[in-house]
Amino acid sequence: MNGAQHILDAFHRHHIGTVFGYPGGCIMPLYDALVDDVGVEHVLCRHEQACALAADGYARASGKLGVCIATSGPGATNLITGVANAHRDSIPMLVITGQVASGMIGTDAFQETDVLGMTLGIVKHSYLVDSAEDIPAIMEEAMALAQSGRPGPVWIDIPKDILLTDVKTPTPEQTQTPSASTPDLSEALAMLREAKRPLLYSGGGVSLANAEDSFRAFAEASAMPGVATLKGIGNAGKHNPNDLGMLGMHGSRAANRAVEECDLLFIVGARLDDRATGKLDGFAPNARTIHIDADAAEINKLRATDVALRGDLSGILTAFTHEMEAQPLAIDDWRTQCQTWRTTGGFQAADNEEPLAPITGPAFIRQLSRITPDNAIIACDVGQHQMWVAQHYHFNHPRHHLTSGGLGTMGYGLPAAIGAQFADRQSTVINVTGDGSFMMNAQELATIRRYNLPLKLIILDNQCLGMVRQQQELFYNNRESQIDLDDNPDFVAMARAFDIPSLHIERTDQIRRGIETILAYDGPMLLHVAISREENVWPIVKPGASNKEMIDEPKRTTTAKKEQVA
Amino acid sequence: MNPTNKNAAPSYTLNCRMAQEAAAIERLCQVVRIRGFRIASMAVETAGDYFDINLTLEGSRPVAMLQNQLEKLHTVAEVVVKQPAAKLARHSA
Ligand SMILES: Cc1ncc(C[n+]2csc(CCOP(=O)(O)OP(=O)(O)O)c2C)c(N)n1
Repeated sequence: MNGAQHILDAFHRHHIGTVFGYPGGCIMPLYDALVDDVGVEHVLCRHEQACALAADGYARASGKLGVCIATSGPGATNLITGVANAHRDSIPMLVITGQVASGMIGTDAFQETDVLGMTLGIVKHSYLVDSAEDIPAIMEEAMALAQSGRPGPVWIDIPKDILLTDVKTPTPEQTQTPSASTPDLSEALAMLREAKRPLLYSGGGVSLANAEDSFRAFAEASAMPGVATLKGIGNAGKHNPNDLGMLGMHGSRAANRAVEECDLLFIVGARLDDRATGKLDGFAPNARTIHIDADAAEINKLRATDVALRGDLSGILTAFTHEMEAQPLAIDDWRTQCQTWRTTGGFQAADNEEPLAPITGPAFIRQLSRITPDNAIIACDVGQHQMWVAQHYHFNHPRHHLTSGGLGTMGYGLPAAIGAQFADRQSTVINVTGDGSFMMNAQELATIRRYNLPLKLIILDNQCLGMVRQQQELFYNNRESQIDLDDNPDFVAMARAFDIPSLHIERTDQIRRGIETILAYDGPMLLHVAISREENVWPIVKPGASNKEMIDEPKRTTTAKKEQVA
Repeated sequence: MNPTNKNAAPSYTLNCRMAQEAAAIERLCQVVRIRGFRIASMAVETAGDYFDINLTLEGSRPVAMLQNQLEKLHTVAEVVVKQPAAKLARHSA
């Protein structure tokens, strides 16, 4: 077997059945090996950025390793945004790129770029292979590394000649990741029992550690009020009465209030990101902290913690659950207080009952949440629509919500939805996007068509870069700059050009039928939803301000959608 | 670069042992820079399959944070911080 065939052999041994890629000169030996391979499905996206983002969506939806492949030079540089996205959100990913032949490296050869140098800051680890004999061992190590501890992308750059060289070294044993031990909980437990107003604060680390079940068991056994980061949405399930939803810049008033008032933050798999905490000085000012995380570097990174528990989240949470079951927390008053805040300060913009009224983003997302099945996967893009999904869609599981949290990558949603659909062919997968974000990876309509994926696409079209327009309105004296998209293409016609049927709606009374129609259709379908340009996401905390300084929606003076912002 | 800040920042010496692999030194320097430290001096020796790297660093962020990040690098075997750096090391920059 040559180097390229050894890569496929490693995929087989690790049950990697789907990879996303795009061919080119230096990676051709691997594409040649793929011709004779029956065990690996190669998904040809139409841009390498989409390959990486689809691999990311595949990994998030399935909990498995996402794999993407590209050629040297522009293929590799096009991958970068997708790999950075996976790095910022700790998604397990293997990236394989071809490189110019070993002897040509450093000669400014055609399609040569210094991939290793360019990507140091966006990978968990990377390799430039200099001997074909190393490929089997590197593949083993890279796949283990990408998925162990705090997951992340691992990039292997392989010169073309090495892909073609016969390998004599026997394939190494599969790397066993040592299981993490459970640390001593006594100090944390004493602190938790002492607290009068403890608050559970969970993030994306819960599902990254595959600890969803143990987290939910703990949340129920402790009945602790809880808040979630953008990536932690769904951790508590949609029926937990103590879940206050998302905190932070566009979090609920209830969640931010609870953080302000709590006397203990019980942090699970979250990194105190600035979008969640607001200005750190004002964040949870009265609270001690217990921080549970797989990554030692996250503990004490931004705020000194009182007790740190590092290790396997599932084991730690299960141990806490037993303690809670043996002796429940005596926090009835606090729980009742938080439930009151949940009723008065949750996300509950009133639905407009007027059938001819224009559609608002929140009203649309609430209907979508009611109509879609519980196991639907929603892949968002970035902007106002992303926040409306986070606020108004009720997720029952964190893997059902695919969102670009750390990097905030416009163009994420469509390829991520493609990846998720490959991860689970039976699930309903919906991409909720904005008119700006959609155009960043619109070429992937061709991928949907090619594989006949039954994806549903929903464009909330406000004819502008809404999130930027909102911040210009609120924080830059309404001086609009380069946000107008009123010359958008006809999205309905555009989808049809890719042989994807589509539907346009613009009135409140059309929402239900629009959603039901695309869900019922046996194949991909696009719903184009015209919404008001002036709608804002509320509440909002000014970037850099404390969460306490949250700005609420100003009172509407008329039924018209245009708001006067105080 | 702001010389006033540079003078005000505390200085540390740090020893790092890491496997010799492509881009090892760049990887180390990249983490040091992005986590808010300036390399004032650097000495690299090879010891078997490893690099033995001695750094004098300046930076106003907690050095433990940098140590944690360096320890996360797959090929880093050990990081030892000796703080604060001797005055001599600082002036030799
Ligand atoms: C690749 C990329 N470029 C720029 C931005 C900055 N940005 C954040 S939100 C946004 C506007 C998004 O517009 P749209 O997709 O139409 O969504 P809306 O906010 O209108 O719902 C922009 C430009 C980004 N996040 N990603």
